[in-house]
Amino acid sequence: MGRQMTEMLKGTLEGIVLALLTGNPAYGYEITTLLRGQGFAEIAEGTVYALLVRIEQKGLVDVEKRPSEKGPPRKVYSLNEQGEKELDEFWNTWSFLSERLEQLRKGGK
Amino acid sequence: MATGWIEQLTGSLEQKKQYRQNKARVEHLPADYRAAATALERYLMYFGAITKGDVLLRMLGDLTDLFEESAADGTPIRSIVGDDPVEFAETFMRNYTGGQWINKERERLVKAIDAAAGDDGKER
Repeated sequence: MGRQMTEMLKGTLEGIVLALLTGNPAYGYEITTLLRGQGFAEIAEGTVYALLVRIEQKGLVDVEKRPSEKGPPRKVYSLNEQGEKELDEFWNTWSFLSERLEQLRKGGK
Repeated sequence: MATGWIEQLTGSLEQKKQYRQNKARVEHLPADYRAAATALERYLMYFGAITKGDVLLRMLGDLTDLFEESAADGTPIRSIVGDDPVEFAETFMRNYTGGQWINKERERLVKAIDAAAGDDGKER
C-alpha cells in the first residue's frame, strides 16, 4: 500500500468500518474480508482489529462473544446508537471534505 | 488492610496471576504466531511505557486475542501485522495511551497552556 494511501486511510478507516457494520454485525476476520472485497486489498487484519478495540472502547459498538467451531470464541461487533451518530457525523465531514477537494481540483474557490 | 502495603510493593497479586495466564496463552500458540506475538509484546512493553497495570494487562490480553483468533483462522503472519509492523504496533498501542506515564505530562501541558492563555479553553 502506498504511503499516501496509508496516511489517508488512517483518518477514514473508522468511518469505513462503521459503515460496513451498519445492519450487518460481523467479527474481525469478516470485516477484513469485506474491506478487501471493497478494494482495500492490502489492509492488515491487525490494523482492523486495533480499530475494533478502539471503537469498542469509545462505546460505538456492542460486542457479543460467540463460540466458534475451531479456536477461541469470536467477538461479534454490532453498531449501536452512539455508533450510528458517529457515522452520521463522519458522512457529514466526508461530504464537506470531498466537496472542498473537488472544488480545489477544478480550480474554483 | 494487610494486603494494601504488600501490593504497593509487589503489584496486585490478581494482576500477576492474569499476567501469567496471558503468558501461558502465548506459549500455546503455534511457533510462528508465538514468535510474532512475543516480538510485538516486547516492543509494546518498551515503547508503550504503560505504568498502569490494568491497562497493560488489557493491552497484552487484546494482543493475545488477536493472535489466537488469527491462528485459528489460519491468517498468515504478514496479513496480521501488514508490511510495516512498527506502524501496526503503534496503531495498536494508541488504544492504551490512558495508561502511559507521558499522559500525566500531556495533561500538565494542557493545563499550563490554559493558564497561560488566561482561560479554560475559551477564546479570548
